[in-house]
Amino acid sequence: MPSTAEFSNRTPFLDRGWVRWAALGLIVVLMIVVPLILPEFANQTIARIGVFAVAVLGLNVVMGYTGQISLGQIFFVGVGAYATAFGVNADWNILLVFLFACALPAVLGLIVALAAARLGGLAIAMVTIALPLIGVPLAKRLSDFTGGSQGTSARFSDAPEWTGLYDDQWQLYIVFLIGGITFLLTRNLVRGKYGRAFAIVKGNEAVAGSMGISPYRYKVLAFTIASLIGGVSGFLYMVVVQYTSPETMSFGHSIELLASMVIGGAGSIVGSILGGIWYVLVPQITNIIDPNITAMLQGAILLIVLFVLPGGLVSLPRLWRRRRRGADSPRGPGATGAGARTDAAASVSGSSTVGDALGAPPGSPPPSKP
Amino acid sequence: MNPGTFIQLVIDGLSTGSIYAALALAIVLVNQATGLINFAQGGMAVLSAYIAWSLNGFGVPLILAILAAVVVSFFLGALIERYLIRRFERGDPDTAVVVTIGLLTLITGLCAWIWTYNNRLFPSLFPLETIKVAGAVISVRSLGTIIVIVVIMGLMQALFLGTKLGLALRAVAINPASAAFSGINVGRNLMVGWGLAAVLGAVAGVLVAPQLTLTPGMMDSALVYALAACILGGLSSPIGVVVAAWLIGVLENLAAVYIPFIGHDLKIAVPFILIFVVLLVRPQGLFGRKAVVRV
Repeated sequence: MPSTAEFSNRTPFLDRGWVRWAALGLIVVLMIVVPLILPEFANQTIARIGVFAVAVLGLNVVMGYTGQISLGQIFFVGVGAYATAFGVNADWNILLVFLFACALPAVLGLIVALAAARLGGLAIAMVTIALPLIGVPLAKRLSDFTGGSQGTSARFSDAPEWTGLYDDQWQLYIVFLIGGITFLLTRNLVRGKYGRAFAIVKGNEAVAGSMGISPYRYKVLAFTIASLIGGVSGFLYMVVVQYTSPETMSFGHSIELLASMVIGGAGSIVGSILGGIWYVLVPQITNIIDPNITAMLQGAILLIVLFVLPGGLVSLPRLWRRRRRGADSPRGPGATGAGARTDAAASVSGSSTVGDALGAPPGSPPPSKP
Repeated sequence: MNPGTFIQLVIDGLSTGSIYAALALAIVLVNQATGLINFAQGGMAVLSAYIAWSLNGFGVPLILAILAAVVVSFFLGALIERYLIRRFERGDPDTAVVVTIGLLTLITGLCAWIWTYNNRLFPSLFPLETIKVAGAVISVRSLGTIIVIVVIMGLMQALFLGTKLGLALRAVAINPASAAFSGINVGRNLMVGWGLAAVLGAVAGVLVAPQLTLTPGMMDSALVYALAACILGGLSSPIGVVVAAWLIGVLENLAAVYIPFIGHDLKIAVPFILIFVVLLVRPQGLFGRKAVVRV
């Protein structure tokens, strides 16, 4: 029977093939069982977490993986939601509605990125900050499509008769299915060829250019994909909430989304889920304490996280593990502060999703800034 | 097109443009010194305006209250640089920007917590009279705002070009390492730079507050306009930024009246349509220099 110390020197438990498949199976089983046993309120909360986890995931593609700050992600979520409502109310086939809800934000994202990505550095942040601020009055103005300030509702996600399910259970299944596929596809994207290109662009644009990777093209691509994922999130928003108004894409929500992404963990798949949980649960908790301090607490917590945990919540187990190992064996002051970067690099070098959540494999050296 | 209305719209546009210019100059100042964009600049300006409003509420004459708020803002800006931003300076610029966004949320939340989200009436520095020039009705407030900003710009220019402090600030901005070698206290100059930026923000805040009524999110759209001016003018050119801010102010005012679809609620789209066009032709901005990157 090997001791734990010896054990951790071999292939990490969580990186073994069968463990990963078993974990995946367990998650799928949980996804099928959980909606059936939880009460309605819990199901709705989990569904909303799913909606915003997808939104944070989109933000992560452009920000966490490609290093371009976007303050406009909520705009694309809103556009997706409006597109869904419009399609449903026009009696389109639901598949067509979904495609429309993805395509419209993607096209808008492409147009914005074509201009914004021309300026390096912070230009995307400076341009995207305008999106929610233009989006809200625009949504009010285009009242033929959006219902103006009143907003618009669309009921299409009630459980069909033959399933015998309650509405909240059916909706949660839809979120699990579409959200799960989105996460899987995005994970494959950022682990593959495009993910490596994104990481190089994030690391140093000049280097990327000299390697034949056009920073401009990949920034536009990342932004477009992020907008598309935002559209998926908007569709899911309509599945769960069934109502949207200009308020959905307000500036404050955009900043909350960014804060959630950083707090969850930039450049991390699991961090996106933590970000979604943060986005939905924390305002609920702070609202119980005192609704007036919600914004202040959000800001303060964001700053504290940046100070003590730059990699976000997702880097907590790794930090803890490193501390513990540091106590056993003397190892130079590691890259504890380089959490966000470590994650991006770890994902590029092909470590597993579960490994991402619970810390990089002990064998991998802390990657340095390129 | 009535020429009187046109002149009036241009003057009003210059006036709002001046407020964007003050905020934009603050952003340029910080960017030149530390290489980052301070998204909290608008929030800091709101806080300054609230401080002036509170002092005024306690019976301090308006002009003194504003001066006190300006002084407090200077020290607040310097402290924020010293104890918050310094840790992230010269590091990953993305992280530093997220820090300023966190700061924006924190300050806005703080204002909301202390003063609530209710609109507060902020007394105007200038009389609410109008003068008639060539058939145009021009408010004294618009003229006053323009004059205040022009005077401040002159003072800034004099500070940077005519004083030892200005020379040191420029040296730190251009090359902090060499500046340190020649005996300049880089840290203290960065603090002063941030303090001066906060002062500019405070001036913008008290000038815009009577118009918009004081709320925690008051400067959100002004910040967007200021950022737009920074992109248009090019972050390396203070004069370019001011000209761009004026251009934006005038164009959006004209568009709001003469282009029916835009109207008053959508005029915030104007600078971004402008940016879209300019970026496709001149990515470095109207007045900016092209940055050369070495690998």
